[in-house]
Amino acid sequence: MTASTTDIPMQPDPENPMTTASVSDVKIDREALDRSISEFAGPNADYYARSFHKIHDSTGIIPRVFNWAAAVFGPFWAAARGIWGVFWAFIILEIIAFVQIGRGSWGQLGADQMARAQAQEARAQEFLNRATEATAAGEDGSRFETLGNNLMRAAERSRETAEAAAADATMILISGIVMLVFLRVVQGLWANVVYEKQYSRWRVDPASVPSGMKLQNILLGAALGLVIIPLTVYRFTVEGVSEWITDFPANPDHYSDTARWLEAVIDNAATSGSGMFDGIVLMVRQVLDAISVALIGTPWPVVMAVIVVIAWRSAGPRVAIFTAAALAYIAFLGYWEIAMETVALVGAAVVLCIVMGIPLGIWFGKSRRAYSFAEPVLDLMQTLPAFVYLIPIIAFFGTGNPPGILATIIFGMPPVIRLTALGMRGVPENIKEAATAFGATRWQLLKDVELPLALPSIMAGVNQTILMCLSMVVIISLIGGGGLGQVILEALQFAAKGPGLLGGFAILFVAMVIDRIVQGAFRRADQK
Amino acid sequence: MSECVVELSNVWKVFGARAEETIAAAQSSNLTKAEALNEYGTVIGVRDASFSVNRGEIFCIMGLSGSGKSTLVRHVNRLIEPSAGTIRVLGQDVGALSPQALREMRTRHIGMVFQHMALMPHRSVRENVAYPLEIQKIPKSRRWAISDHTLGLVDLTGYEDRLPKELSGGMQQRVGIARALASDPEILLMDEPFSALDPLIRLQLQDQFKSLVENLNKSTLFITHDLDEAIRIGHRIAIMKDGVIVQIGTPEQIVTEPADDYVREFVQGISRLKLVRAHTIMEPLTNGHANPPDAAHRIDGQSDLDALIDLSVESDHPIVVTENGRDVGVISKKTLLRGIQGGRE
Repeated sequence: MTASTTDIPMQPDPENPMTTASVSDVKIDREALDRSISEFAGPNADYYARSFHKIHDSTGIIPRVFNWAAAVFGPFWAAARGIWGVFWAFIILEIIAFVQIGRGSWGQLGADQMARAQAQEARAQEFLNRATEATAAGEDGSRFETLGNNLMRAAERSRETAEAAAADATMILISGIVMLVFLRVVQGLWANVVYEKQYSRWRVDPASVPSGMKLQNILLGAALGLVIIPLTVYRFTVEGVSEWITDFPANPDHYSDTARWLEAVIDNAATSGSGMFDGIVLMVRQVLDAISVALIGTPWPVVMAVIVVIAWRSAGPRVAIFTAAALAYIAFLGYWEIAMETVALVGAAVVLCIVMGIPLGIWFGKSRRAYSFAEPVLDLMQTLPAFVYLIPIIAFFGTGNPPGILATIIFGMPPVIRLTALGMRGVPENIKEAATAFGATRWQLLKDVELPLALPSIMAGVNQTILMCLSMVVIISLIGGGGLGQVILEALQFAAKGPGLLGGFAILFVAMVIDRIVQGAFRRADQK
Repeated sequence: MSECVVELSNVWKVFGARAEETIAAAQSSNLTKAEALNEYGTVIGVRDASFSVNRGEIFCIMGLSGSGKSTLVRHVNRLIEPSAGTIRVLGQDVGALSPQALREMRTRHIGMVFQHMALMPHRSVRENVAYPLEIQKIPKSRRWAISDHTLGLVDLTGYEDRLPKELSGGMQQRVGIARALASDPEILLMDEPFSALDPLIRLQLQDQFKSLVENLNKSTLFITHDLDEAIRIGHRIAIMKDGVIVQIGTPEQIVTEPADDYVREFVQGISRLKLVRAHTIMEPLTNGHANPPDAAHRIDGQSDLDALIDLSVESDHPIVVTENGRDVGVISKKTLLRGIQGGRE
């Protein structure tokens, strides 16, 4: 072999003979460490070298090192040393202490109660005066007198509360001071431990871990502290603060202008693209009608028998018995047709999700560029709460079942796309290469290699899509979707407890039956 | 010279955007791999490679990992496009083939075996072997018959309906070989087929493979990182280093006349007994020599060192080497021992 420069021979070094066999004989090289620590710490390097050594030598939980700078300057020490996590944690805790101190020393505690007491007293006096006037005029003033006396008593109570609050001021002041001192002691004790951790990180990654004491850090920390602390303390301790501190200066005109503009945009888009939107609705309706006719038009005993048999075949006898019981509940309570509508809605949504999602997933799996564009859209489809996109859907597609299915598709399609793409990308490169080497066309490669190997992942995606469509299909009753969701919505509007609960159980059973059957089918496919 | 089935001339493969500049620079000056990466941001995979494989020949390309041998072999069926140079397979310029013709070439004329088998895990052994036939749209009955026959060639009869994962590594690689043979191609590309197997199985498969290929008269381009393997099965060997073909020759030439220090270091550990011929180490008979005694043992010039040792043990006389019945040289004990050592004086 050619000896490269990296092959350093394992020869004994005469300068530093490796004669020590025992670990306890190994000497600690303080000097090299000191050089590194002083490079890291900058100012006060000797102090930090000493305390880091103490931390390194310590065997207890809390090393006995106290950093007076951290205790005196508090969070500003942390800012100066670039330990921003500690800075933020302690500045928030210290604000609580400062607020207490402020309230205790100059925040007129009970001032509001005292003001109320005075107002009540004045009002009572007014009533009493009126009572005297009435008596003087020879009328009956007892009504005013009672009111006045009542108010007088209330004023007395307010005054007592105010005095009690004022008496608490000293306690609040003391508790604030105790808290501040405690926090500073904690920082003094903890500072060097944290700083030593930062030093260890800095050794690994000197470029991005802050080191030394930088002027810009000190200034930034001071500026942040000077803005945050006085403002907060002012807000909590002074009566009648300016409005701009408590309320964000919002402008209602901005809101209404933007909303109006958005509405115009949506209306325009809806009218100009109405042909396309109607076409989409028509297509969705075709799919839905086909499934509905099959489920509702077929005599109910046939449909029930088929469902139970499917449950038996895919998930075994126990699920079949449960399915039969659930179907009996639904049928006896008269929910049969409406429940089948729900199943048809889920079915139509799932079919459309799969028909569109798998080809998209294949495309995204093959093209990294396409996937990088689609990824944020898919994230949005899953994060966006349904309530948000129901309104634009009404604007573009109207109300009823087909728009409901479209809303369900938005929510349910991402998993099948994602997992198809994932499966496609997981197909081993060497198997694809082998197929290409034997002359496979792109189509043959897809059909014979990629799809079969991605199939488990694709099926997992289909499974998730089914379950997500199921959870969404109830919500679409809000935009006029039918099925069991509508039953619940009506019950909700009239606060009808009985119908609501019965309908709720019907939905639960439909969901459980579909879920059990699907899960059972995939578990069997996995075992194969 | 027999017919040439694969011919590469001045093939370059440079990875990176500035491939052409790199080639121009490397042709005019002696640009190293590291310099190419520094100056052009390109990686030189194959550098000016030329060789040819004759019909019925096993041609080995031997090199360490990263020497560009796997990249080179993928040019033959155009899994990788060359940056420069031409590749001719069965007289056709592979680079000029239409996609249709290229697929035809890959399916009918070139079989390939991969280091990591690359069998399809969801298909039975039989259907894996039949896949190249399936691509050609050969009906199922015929595909299955051919597949079973080919599996018989690699001693896998009885395993047709198993899944690949049920077979051991050695058996899986035999499935790979059967798949490559299924469409009866003239050319086999073997990309380190036995590297992932344990040594005993590897030896077995090497012998099995060599006799199979010689019986079927296939031309083989065999990639390996193991010189022992190359010498064992190759008729000719090309040694690659950093994308450059350093030497091409028969196993004996490689061992006895290494082109440079790199090759010399490689061949040091190789046993010469079965490789070096009497012809190579003998002292030629010139007029100055006394005529050899008639009693001395005579041996053909093509005999290897092993046979010479056997003869030498029997008698103390020098051995006379003959060629076409004429005495052409002698080998004394000293010459023989030096010959075994590797010709050091």
